[in-house]
Amino acid sequence: MKLWSTEHIFSYPWETVIKAAMRKYPNPMNPSVVGVDVLDRNLDTHGRLHSHRLLSTEWGLPGIVKAILGTNRTTTYVQEHSIVDPEEKKMELCSTNITLTNLISVDERLVYTPHPENPEVTVLTQEAIITVKGVSLSSYLEGLMALSMSANARKGWDAIEWIIQNSERENVPLCDLC
Amino acid sequence: MNSVGEGCTELKREYDQCFNRWFAEKFLKGDRSADPCSELFHKYHTCVQKAIKEKDIPIEGVEFMGPSREKPDS
Repeated sequence: MKLWSTEHIFSYPWETVIKAAMRKYPNPMNPSVVGVDVLDRNLDTHGRLHSHRLLSTEWGLPGIVKAILGTNRTTTYVQEHSIVDPEEKKMELCSTNITLTNLISVDERLVYTPHPENPEVTVLTQEAIITVKGVSLSSYLEGLMALSMSANARKGWDAIEWIIQNSERENVPLCDLC
Repeated sequence: MNSVGEGCTELKREYDQCFNRWFAEKFLKGDRSADPCSELFHKYHTCVQKAIKEKDIPIEGVEFMGPSREKPDS
């Protein structure tokens, strides 16, 4: 088991970042996400919006991991639960893979909040727990996966920036990009 | 963006468009009223549920999720 975490700052207010985060896919940085579905969505009694989504991904496992695990590139499904609290200005998102779970589990948690000292920028804290199961090289593989997480985190930040810039430049509602 | 069910993508697009507008123009601006997209969601949801069953995707508890469900430990 390996814990991975990072922090990123977006130079945009929280509302702008959250709008982009909700419409993050498709984007050119994450071509591996081939489908996104909303499974359930509701407002709770505190006025927070809960969304359960299913992400269909062509998971880019590092080649050596594929070789050792003996799995080919295949569609992997990820289930995601997000909560947007418009009053507290907080978006929290947890995701976990629901296929290949006999081989690996990647549990990720992202939290978007305004910067405590500068409301014009947004802080994203991101952490993941990676567990590779049933192989003797598991700690080595978990290290490789952590490296892959870092590369993917960078793509995720770029994706949010891309969504924001594209929506503002073209001045079209982002939903039309979906 | 595609849906997991090939035939659901158009229904998803219509729902997403409705939801995204409500999310940006009402919800984030403090309007507490529910989104006006429930009819579109119902059609889309029915289609996706069928696709999930056909593809045998192991979703946990989707049928039972409701407003009272607490968030999972994180």
